[in-house]
Amino acid sequence: MEDYKFLFKVVLVGNAGVGKTCLVRRFTQGLFPPGQGATIGVDFMIKTVEVENEKVKLQIWDTAGQERFRSITQSYYRSAHALILVYDISCQPTFDCLPDWLREIEEYASNKVLRILVGNKIDREDREIPTHVGEDFAQRHGMYFLETSAKEAENVERLFMEIAAELMEVSENILFKSILLLW
Amino acid sequence: MQRGPYNTISTTDIRFFDSLLGPNRLITDPDECESYNIDFPSTVRGASRCVLKPKSTEEVSAILKYCNTRRLAVVPQSGNTGLVGGSNPVFDEIVISMKSMNKILDTNELAGVLTCEAGCVLENLENHLTTVGLMMPLDLGAKGSCLIGGCVSTNAGGLRLLRYGNLHGNILGVEAVKANGDVVDALNTLKKNNTGYHLKHLFIGSEGTLGIVTKVVIQCPPLPKAVHLAFLGLASFDKVLKTYHLAKRELGEILSSCEMMDRLSIDVSINNLDMKNPLTSYENGHEFYMLIETSGSHLAHDEEKLSSFVEKAMNNDIIEDGTLTNETAKINNIWGLRERISEGVLRDGYVFKYDISLPFTSFYKVVEVLRDRLRDPRIIRISGYGHLGDGNIHVQVSIPEYYVDVAAQLEPFIFEYVSQCQGSISAEHGIGFKKTKYLHMSKTSSEIAMMYDLKKLMDPNGILNPYKVLMPVTTELQS
Ligand SMILES: Cc1cc2nc3c(=O)[nH]c(=O)nc-3n(C[C@H](O)[C@H](O)[C@H](O)COP(=O)(O)OP(=O)(O)OC[C@H]3O[C@@H](n4cnc5c(N)ncnc54)[C@H](O)[C@@H]3O)c2cc1C
Ligand SMILES: Nc1nc2c(ncn2[C@@H]2O[C@H](COP(=O)(O)OP(=O)(O)O)[C@@H](O)[C@H]2O)c(=O)[nH]1
Ligand SMILES: [Mg+2]
Repeated sequence: MEDYKFLFKVVLVGNAGVGKTCLVRRFTQGLFPPGQGATIGVDFMIKTVEVENEKVKLQIWDTAGQERFRSITQSYYRSAHALILVYDISCQPTFDCLPDWLREIEEYASNKVLRILVGNKIDREDREIPTHVGEDFAQRHGMYFLETSAKEAENVERLFMEIAAELMEVSENILFKSILLLW
Repeated sequence: MQRGPYNTISTTDIRFFDSLLGPNRLITDPDECESYNIDFPSTVRGASRCVLKPKSTEEVSAILKYCNTRRLAVVPQSGNTGLVGGSNPVFDEIVISMKSMNKILDTNELAGVLTCEAGCVLENLENHLTTVGLMMPLDLGAKGSCLIGGCVSTNAGGLRLLRYGNLHGNILGVEAVKANGDVVDALNTLKKNNTGYHLKHLFIGSEGTLGIVTKVVIQCPPLPKAVHLAFLGLASFDKVLKTYHLAKRELGEILSSCEMMDRLSIDVSINNLDMKNPLTSYENGHEFYMLIETSGSHLAHDEEKLSSFVEKAMNNDIIEDGTLTNETAKINNIWGLRERISEGVLRDGYVFKYDISLPFTSFYKVVEVLRDRLRDPRIIRISGYGHLGDGNIHVQVSIPEYYVDVAAQLEPFIFEYVSQCQGSISAEHGIGFKKTKYLHMSKTSSEIAMMYDLKKLMDPNGILNPYKVLMPVTTELQS
């Protein structure tokens, strides 16, 4: 068994077609898939990264957006350490759905979960949601914010690496606090 | 193989069948007979010139009575999907096709008991039961064509055996016609009934050599409210076993299927049939795939169990990636990848197929051993897939066309190997025509002796499906 010190579960949600699967494949495989079928169920995979010389294993769950009113929901939210909520900056309806997604997250996810709002497809010329609008939304809802392009590999690595680093810090803090408490 | 001591069919015989069944249920045209003479994978071919399609037990009885007195050999045929050449004539045996006996007779919703004629298509029964919240206790890739009587006669296993057990348990009763035309009514519908000999078992798995099954009573479990499917990619067979172990522990009572496929098996569905691999995170795919299905009564509970199982499997590094769904269309898509392997591999050319049971320690080794032994450039694939949860692997070796020397390298070697490993040379497909001479590798001589005794008792003239299961005994035509 490979050794690692940290293991985190990261779940991507958002409307179908916003680029969740592309973001994951860009990060895990370094490629932008040329046309692929829509995600079948919930896909899961592992990617190990290194943060400050520590091995961090990320368990990534890529959900099928069209299923959001269906039943597979609760269990994969529940044990998530981080939730990436994705919209498409060139598609207003995907942004308009964000409150629905948040409601679902509130209902099912742990309240300690790290939440990141991602506006994807910034390579596109036909932007409909200005950066500051996304930023505002994120701030109002206590989320981190980042804009990405899975196609041009913009901010994708950064997205996952920052999540890994943040989660690592949080869990070390908890560890630290619990040691203090023991004292 | 020599033709047995049977009469050949005469015009008088045809006239009798014609008066019994009428011209529409009697086929004598050689072209029309063709599909009944050849098996599904086109590996055997008989030369029957007569196919009969009885519609009732009485007709089956009349046919057998006549054939028995006339010493005419018969072969019962259902969906003709059997994979051991059991359902086709070897010489000119009369084919008794059960397709026209397709009535559902009774559905007892509360008891979960279905009574029907033997010629009902498995999938039709499944669809019928869905409407009353029940399901068939068995499911297999051939469900669209195979008939329940064929399944009973081969004691078909399939994809649900892990959960619901085999047909010796699930068939509560049968009605069958003996070689002399006598009807044995053993249509028990009770779950418990220990009175006397359990005769139904004689007809379950005896492949049409002891009688023709005409009706069956089936115990049907309730339709699960929640079905989930996980499709997993793995790096080694060792990890496949670990995943199975974990699945048994974590999913226990809701686990309803646990199937495995190696890379070359799934390649059949992807390359030969143009299906999509739902797992994309590894560019070159995986060495092994597993399909794990759960069936339960509480969606949220089952989902939680399955996702926690997946998390554990990932955290322990036993699976590489996977996908999880509970949508029927997607479940069916994924099942298709597994179920269509045996159809897709036929596009390679000729396929040697072995359906064997092996202890887990040697389960996949058999494929490796064959790959080692047959380093022949003509071979397209040597692969294994199957019902891991039941210790049952299907090994397939495909070549562009049949070569005698390749066959000689495979057989009897593979049967000897399996026998050495304390496995079974036929886990669920039966003995049929193709495995007759290897029967002794999985049955003791005392068992075989008793099988002959039973055969003589039930079918003294040996007219029922000769050359199948047991080597023929009678060589002379008695008058
Ligand atoms: C794609 C595919 C997948 C399969 N998957 C499985 C699987 O998972 N598990 C499994 O066990 N098998 C499997 N099989 C094999 C086959 O489908 C089964 O053996 C099935 O039960 C045969 O049913 P059938 O109606 O086609 O019978 P047939 O092939 O017509 O007959 C099978 C045998 O039973 C005898 N018989 C048929 N009907 C009667 C009757 N009424 N009375 C007496 N004898 C009779 C025949 O003479 C023959 O010996 C598969 C086959 C295919 C093509
Ligand atoms: N221009 C552009 N297109 C993208 C980007 N990411 C994804 N896409 C496209 O958006 C479509 C949906 O992507 P997919 O990853 O399947 O979306 P998902 O349903 O959220 O998983 C595909 O046609 C992708 O090629 C991106 O960053 N830029
Ligand atoms: Mg997707």
